[in-house]
Amino acid sequence: MGKIDFFLTEALGSLRRNYFMTIAALVTVFLSILVLGGVLVFVYTTNALLKEVEQKVNISVYLKTDPDPSMDEVQELQTEILSWPEVKTALYVSKEDAWERLKEDFKDSPEVIESISGNPLPASFEITLNDPQTVETVASRFEGLPIVDDVRYGKDVAERLFNFTNQARNFLVIFIVLLGVVSILLISNTIRLSIFARKREVEIMKLVGATNWFIRWPFIIEGVAVGLIGAAAAVVVVLLGNSFLVGRIRESMPFMAIPLDAVPTLFVSLVLLAVGVVIGALGSALGLRRFLKV
Amino acid sequence: MITFEEVTKIYPPSTVGLERVTLHIDKGEFVFLVGPSGSGKSTFIRLVIREIQPDRGRIIVGGRDLATLRSWKVPYLRRNIGCVFQDFKLLPNKTAFENVMYALTVTGNATSTSKKKAAEILNLVGLGHKADSYPHELSGGEQQRVSIARAFVNHPPLLIADEPTGNLDPETSMGIMQLLYRINKTGTTVIMATHDREMVDRMRRRVIALDAGRVVRDQKRGGYGED
Repeated sequence: MGKIDFFLTEALGSLRRNYFMTIAALVTVFLSILVLGGVLVFVYTTNALLKEVEQKVNISVYLKTDPDPSMDEVQELQTEILSWPEVKTALYVSKEDAWERLKEDFKDSPEVIESISGNPLPASFEITLNDPQTVETVASRFEGLPIVDDVRYGKDVAERLFNFTNQARNFLVIFIVLLGVVSILLISNTIRLSIFARKREVEIMKLVGATNWFIRWPFIIEGVAVGLIGAAAAVVVVLLGNSFLVGRIRESMPFMAIPLDAVPTLFVSLVLLAVGVVIGALGSALGLRRFLKV
Repeated sequence: MITFEEVTKIYPPSTVGLERVTLHIDKGEFVFLVGPSGSGKSTFIRLVIREIQPDRGRIIVGGRDLATLRSWKVPYLRRNIGCVFQDFKLLPNKTAFENVMYALTVTGNATSTSKKKAAEILNLVGLGHKADSYPHELSGGEQQRVSIARAFVNHPPLLIADEPTGNLDPETSMGIMQLLYRINKTGTTVIMATHDREMVDRMRRRVIALDAGRVVRDQKRGGYGED
């Protein structure tokens, strides 16, 4: 029988003997990881949603109509816009395109279109940005350009949205940190209780000449096993819950386009499992520390 | 085997454990440590296994100065000292056999030969038939024999017994005494702290009497009280 065998048998034996403590620790790990996983899923989903909304912040630049700018002027402006690093795309919508769009929008009531004489619509650029936060900078560059009539980008909406998303992110980061601290405390406390119950055992082991690591290993294996099993259960619940909720949201709010891959499930699972293992091992090691000073 | 030089141990704030104790115990000796409760017997033992350290003085065990012994080496010191206690200190979740095996596994000796060794030593203390019993299924005397088996399975040069018969009836005590006597015959130094007057008087071994932390008598073939 090798040492590793011995440690494993010791760990499993004491997990079974102290089943009440094992269950208590398992439940603590499970709940903490569950909440952590829930928060992670929430963060990823809201992030994806915010990105979607942010992408919709684009700039419309209306050109002057009287007189309409020449093709050369239009081309020149488009080249310039596209040369700006913040700009992702710049679509030119000619007067005719705009007219077609209007007709399309009002195809159910053609009398509206018929009542309009000629084509009063201006040509425009529809600009999307790499980083929506740069919207104001980009918009300001159009001021005073001779062929530009008006720039629209929903200033208020954009600003309020960015404020909200920034605050939400900060809040969630703080929440996650607090949650992490609370779970570690809870778990190391639970494990410490289970170790306290075996204080005498540890004393005896030391008297027989066991080194600290010889005593520690079975406890750490126990902690890791508890952390791993608790985290695995939590991961299953988180993933199931996630796909269920996403389905529900899609059904009830079809206009909110939640991307399918909003939550990187493999990554989140691995992170949660790792957190479980680390918490379990750390909890055991910390809980044991006091009793090893015999 | 053991040398104490002017050893003093004070428990804060001012309880005297030992005071200026100087003594020497040779290899192969059998020594009784006697004295009333609080006289320093347990302090002496805890100092020898380096559970605690003295405030002043020097302790040498098996040629090693305990003051300079690094704490990570303490387990290796303890593997050379078998310990037997009044409350047996058996691991409650292990059978008699597993308790003895633990002392061997700790040293990294968990081979098939060591299993044989553990079984043999249990036979030697007369508990071969109860190898698979748990401590709570054994009588006090049986538990103490398991703990002696565990203490002796590594054949340590030194065996320390702290009131090993304190919880046992006189007849059972005699059996335990005889075990320790046989262990001493193999060359192991045995130190036994005890209250058992009759036992000490019958054995006629070296007696070190402590009182209030001081050595008040050290007699080659002494009895419990003054002769």
